[in-house]
Amino acid sequence: MTERTVEILEDSDRFVFPWQLAIPNTYPAGVVGSKFLIELRDNKKIKGIKCPECNQVYVPPRSTCKYCFGELSELVDVSDKGTLVTYAVSYEPTPVQPVEGTPVIYGIVKLDGADTGFVHMLGEVDPKQLEIGMRVKAVFKTKKKRVASILDIKYFKPLKI
Amino acid sequence: MANEPAQEYIQVTYKKPRPYRWAAGEYLSRLYRECRDNKRLMTVKCQHCNEHVWPPSKVCGRCKKPSGDNWVVVSDKGSVVQFTYTNFPMFDPHVGKYMTEEHPFATIDLDDCEIYWVAKLEEKDKDKLKPGMRVQAVWREEGRGGGLDHDILYFRTIEE
Amino acid sequence: MGNRVAIVGIGQTYHKSHRPDVSQMELVNEAVRPALADAQMNMKDIDAVFVGNMETFEGIYLPDHSMVDFSGAYMKPGFKIASGGTTGCSILEEAFHCVTAGIFDKVLVAAFEKQDSGDSTGAITAATTPAWGKGQARGAIHEFAKQALSYIKHSGATEAHAAMVRLKADKGACRNPYSHLKLGLKSIDDILSSEPLEYPLRLFDFCPQSCGACAIIIANEEETKKITNKPVWIADTICVHQEIFRAGAFCDFTGKERYSQEIAAERLYKRNGITNPRKEIDMAEVYEPSDWEEMLIYELFGLCPRNEGWKLVEKGITEIEGEWPVNPSGGVLSTNPIGATPTVRIAECVLQIRGEAGEHQVTKDVNTAFATALGGPNWTSMILLKKSV
Ligand SMILES: [Zn+2]
Ligand SMILES: [Zn+2]
Repeated sequence: MTERTVEILEDSDRFVFPWQLAIPNTYPAGVVGSKFLIELRDNKKIKGIKCPECNQVYVPPRSTCKYCFGELSELVDVSDKGTLVTYAVSYEPTPVQPVEGTPVIYGIVKLDGADTGFVHMLGEVDPKQLEIGMRVKAVFKTKKKRVASILDIKYFKPLKI
Repeated sequence: MANEPAQEYIQVTYKKPRPYRWAAGEYLSRLYRECRDNKRLMTVKCQHCNEHVWPPSKVCGRCKKPSGDNWVVVSDKGSVVQFTYTNFPMFDPHVGKYMTEEHPFATIDLDDCEIYWVAKLEEKDKDKLKPGMRVQAVWREEGRGGGLDHDILYFRTIEE
Repeated sequence: MGNRVAIVGIGQTYHKSHRPDVSQMELVNEAVRPALADAQMNMKDIDAVFVGNMETFEGIYLPDHSMVDFSGAYMKPGFKIASGGTTGCSILEEAFHCVTAGIFDKVLVAAFEKQDSGDSTGAITAATTPAWGKGQARGAIHEFAKQALSYIKHSGATEAHAAMVRLKADKGACRNPYSHLKLGLKSIDDILSSEPLEYPLRLFDFCPQSCGACAIIIANEEETKKITNKPVWIADTICVHQEIFRAGAFCDFTGKERYSQEIAAERLYKRNGITNPRKEIDMAEVYEPSDWEEMLIYELFGLCPRNEGWKLVEKGITEIEGEWPVNPSGGVLSTNPIGATPTVRIAECVLQIRGEAGEHQVTKDVNTAFATALGGPNWTSMILLKKSV
C-alpha cells in the first residue's frame, strides 16, 4: 500500500479504512534462543534445555523453568524425530502465514527426548494421511538457505518405518 | 556464563504489514461526506450541553449523553495556537515508509466553536510561523472523503 | 478503608538503548529476580502476577502470554495492562486494589519495554484512529513540542530554564547505576547547543528510548510484617482521564480546561488531608518526557503557583540537595522504558524512603513521596507512598 485509501460500504453511506500496520519489528532471540537457532543453522541439530530440578526438557530452550522458576542453562540434544501430538490444516490463506501457498499444515511434535510440544509445519504428506501419534522427522533446508531461523527446518515429514 | 567467549546473538526481523479494516461509523462518515461533497466541516452540537462534539460522535464526550442530530457547519478558518516542525524523518506506520514531504503541524483554534484541530500548515518558512497567525483550509479539488489530508491539503496563511 | 498495603520488594534492570542479548521475556526476568531477592521471597509465595507493556511498540501481541514462565505467572492469576505512558503505574494501582480489597495477599507486578524491537513513535502514530489522528499524529514528541511553545508564551520561562531541568536530570542519572543516559553534561550550554529535534525541543530536551524492566512486590499488612522490616506503604492511588482531542491534553492554552495532573493531585491531597504538599510531602519522582513538562507539572501538582514552575528550577529547590527534590534518579529524561517508566518512578521513591538510593539519595529525610505517570491523551496516575502509616 503506497497511500492511505478509503472505501464506502456498498449498502450504506459509511466509510471504511482498509489500512495496515507496517512497522518492522526485531526480536532478539536471547541467550539460549540464539544458541538454539545457531545449532539449527550450523549443525542441523535441535537443542533443548533441561531443568535438573524438575527433570524437564524444554524445546525450544528457554532460560527459566515454568515449574520451579529456576534459571536454566543446561542445553541438551534432542532428536530430530518425534511424535505428532496434534495438527491443523489451514486452507484459508492469510497475509501473515510463514510460507507461500495452501494448505499450510501446522503440527505440534513431541520430539524424542523432549517434554514439550514443538510447533512447526508438516510437509510431504497428504492431509488425509495425517494421524495423531504418527512418527515424523525434521526436514532441514540446504546449508545455503539456513539463516538461524525457526524456518531453517522446512517442515516435518512422516517417518516411514 | 560470564566467562564464556562472546556469543553470537540472533535477531529475527519481521516486516510483513498487518492489514486491518477500520469502520468510521455513522457520525464520522457524515463529516467525511460533507468534506468530500461540499468541502466543508460539519459536526454535531450536543442536544444536552450544547457543546460542539469534535470529532462528531454519537456520544458527547463532555456530558456522556447521546449528542443528538443538531448538525452545524464549522468554520474552516482559525488561529494557530501552537505549532511545531520536525527535524528528523518520521515513519508512517500505515505505509511502512518514512514521510518525505514535511509540513509544520499546528493546533488550530477554529473560529466560533471551541474546536482545536491539529492540521498541516502550508507555510514551510519557519520564520513566518507564529502563534496567533490566521489560517484557512485549502480543500483538494477532488476530495476522496475520509477527512484529513484526503480532503484538505493543508491550512494556508490568510491576511485579514 | 481496605487492607493496608506495602511495597516489600523492588527490582529493576540496567537500562540501555539496545539489548540484542536478551529476548523481551528474559528482560522482564532480569527485573523479577532482583525484586524477589529484595523481598527475600520465592515465586511460590506470590499469589498473582500483573504484567505491563505497550505491546505495539515491540510488535508481540499478548506479551503476557509469551512471558508466563519469565514473569513467574505460571498457574497463577493475573493480567496485562497497556495504558500508554501510565502502564507501569496502572499495574501497581490494580494490584493495590486487589490486595486492599483482600482478593490477593501478595502480588508481583512486572513492566517492561524493549524499544530496540520496533518503532515506538511509529506505533504511537498508529495508535490513533485511522480516520482521525492518523497521518496527523506524530508520536509523543509532537505534543510535547507544542506544549513547550505554549509554556514559553504563558509562563515567561526561557530555554535556559528547561536546560537547567535537563542538567539536574543528568546529574542524578550519572549517580544512578540503573539509568540509561549518563551524558556528563557540564553546563546548560551543552543542552542549548544540542541539535534541534522538533521545534522548540532539542535533542537533550526530550526523553530517550530505553530497553528496561522493573518489578515490584506488594503485600497486605499481615504478610508485610512477616516479609520485611523496611516496608514502604501505599497510602493512596489515583487515576484521572482527560477527554481526547480536547485542549488540556498535555497543555491548556485556553485557560478553560483542566489538566488531569491537577485534578489527580487535588483529589489525592484532599483524600489524604494534605493541604500543603511542599510541607507535607518530601519529594517526588514524576513522569516528565520533556524538561518543559517537568516545570509545568510542578505547578499542576501544587508545588508552586501557576506559571512559576521555572522559578523552582532557578532557585535549585528541586535538586537532589534541594528543599523539595524531584527526580533525583535522573527521571524520564534519562531513562525511558515506556511501559516500565512509571514502575521505575515508584521503585525510586521506595529507594529514597528506605534511604537506599546510594549516590543519588536526597539530602533531606524522606518520609512521604509520590510517583506519577502520564499517558496517551493526558491521563494521570499518582501513587502516594509513606514510610509509616
Ligand atoms: Zn524446574
Ligand atoms: Zn453534551
